[in-house]
Amino acid sequence: MSATTADGVRPASLPSLRTPGTRILNVMRLHKTNPYTLLILPWIIMGGILAVNIAIWVIVNIAAGPKGMHSAEQGLQYSGAGFWPFVYFVVGAVQAINITFALALGYGMTRRDYYLGTAAFFVILAALFAVGMAILGVIEQATNGWFLGGHMFTAIYFGANWWTRLLVFFFGFLFCLFTGSGFASIWVRWKVTGLVIAFGTLAALIIAAIAVLTFTGTWPAVGGAVLDGGPLVFTAWLLIPAAISAITGFFILRRATPRS
Amino acid sequence: MSAARPVVEVTSLSKRFGKVQAVGDVSFTLTENKIYGLLGRNGAGKTTLMQLLTGQEFASSGEIRVFGESPVENARVLERMAFIKESQRYPDDFKVKHVLRAAPLFFPEWDAAYAQSLVGDFRLPLDRRIKKLSRGQLSAVGVIVGLASRAPLTFFDEPYLGLDAVARQTFYDRLLEDYSEHPRTVVLSTHLIDEVSNLLEHVLVIDEGRIVIDQDAEQLRGTAATVVGTRTAVDAFVAHRKVLQREGIGGLASVTISGVTDADRAKATAAGLELAPVSLQQLVIQTTTQPTTTQPTTHETEEAVR
Repeated sequence: MSATTADGVRPASLPSLRTPGTRILNVMRLHKTNPYTLLILPWIIMGGILAVNIAIWVIVNIAAGPKGMHSAEQGLQYSGAGFWPFVYFVVGAVQAINITFALALGYGMTRRDYYLGTAAFFVILAALFAVGMAILGVIEQATNGWFLGGHMFTAIYFGANWWTRLLVFFFGFLFCLFTGSGFASIWVRWKVTGLVIAFGTLAALIIAAIAVLTFTGTWPAVGGAVLDGGPLVFTAWLLIPAAISAITGFFILRRATPRS
Repeated sequence: MSAARPVVEVTSLSKRFGKVQAVGDVSFTLTENKIYGLLGRNGAGKTTLMQLLTGQEFASSGEIRVFGESPVENARVLERMAFIKESQRYPDDFKVKHVLRAAPLFFPEWDAAYAQSLVGDFRLPLDRRIKKLSRGQLSAVGVIVGLASRAPLTFFDEPYLGLDAVARQTFYDRLLEDYSEHPRTVVLSTHLIDEVSNLLEHVLVIDEGRIVIDQDAEQLRGTAATVVGTRTAVDAFVAHRKVLQREGIGGLASVTISGVTDADRAKATAAGLELAPVSLQQLVIQTTTQPTTTQPTTHETEEAVR
């Protein structure tokens, strides 16, 4: 007990063993320690869905015949198959944070470094999948829909050319991953109670927004802005809620404790 | 005075969860390169205390200094610590090898070759999913990470659950070997007090959120004794002393007391009394078996034991 006296042995400040950059990079490496769930499995599922779609396009081609194919191709533009990775990454983000947070803190990571590293990893993840899907879109276009007139990566909602689609995918993934990380933080900190309150609040806000739009008669204006702007403008707007969710998530997680 | 530097300094630390006082007004110091035993019953506050020291929980009041600084969100402090707990959760898709690949990211002193040799010692299957491991194998993962991390301050919270006797002995042996080659501060929280009693250099006993014993292990064992003899002689001898436990049959009594000095021993022998040694486990049981009260009154015990 007496060793606590000021005998000059205690260093004025503890030296850092690693730079902040290294620590954040290490969190990113933690997320890819087992790359299967976030980096490999999505491509496998994507391949599976493409295969199923190709089978359907073959059926459509045979059923419609050469003459009917022109009008069938109009309909094939409205494919929803390209939407699933976005849903997958909302869930993936929640799961990744929920489960690596306890490990990272257990192994001596600060919440700050953990969140920043995770956010950086999500940005890279969004970029990787956006580039991948944009390339698949280019192939799809060059092969006239995998030689069958099909659309999965060039569905009409994703934009008219490759660079629009690249940005739409990127913004879309950012939105999904950071919405996920916001809800993940709420879950990690307050569990079910937190999610119930968060969804309740969100529902109330949406209803309030609908009420305002309805009573002020601004629906056509808003609808017009979204539709006229096209997918790129729409997904760019999504970056605002994504940023709010990401920043809120940071402050929520900074006071969270890992509980089993 | 020894040159041992304080690694952990805790002053009037309290932690409340709602109405439950998990840790109440605790003060103690841990010095460099020692093996500490943090002993106490289930729910005594051992895990909470370690979570506070490792910055995972936030204190309600009081001060914690680890390596001279607050551990909360302090990377420089946290990267010098390893906290191995029985309840550690791992990502669902992790196999044993993924844990061993991730651990070096967090522990600057990580020794991969040593970790590999420990995997052999504990016969751990590297390719098995964490979820599919047995209780004992899961504990072995924690033990391996804790040892190979070589963190200057390492906490083991009940690290042996499900480990068989052989594996537990392997753990104790490896811990001692590695500790002598790479001295560091180790805090071992455990129920199996007699098993680790030879390992411990210093003992902290926590009961109902309060530290009731904070003493050198050797000294602690040496100063407690059970006095056996006729009731009148025993009663006369233990009068004005802190009695830990009392048993009696007819005219005979057996009383466990602490703070026995050499002079006391001579006096007891002269009075025709027998002094029997008390094991660490007995001592801990006897200091922590008071019935639970809503407002703990263990303060008196604390004073008396010191």
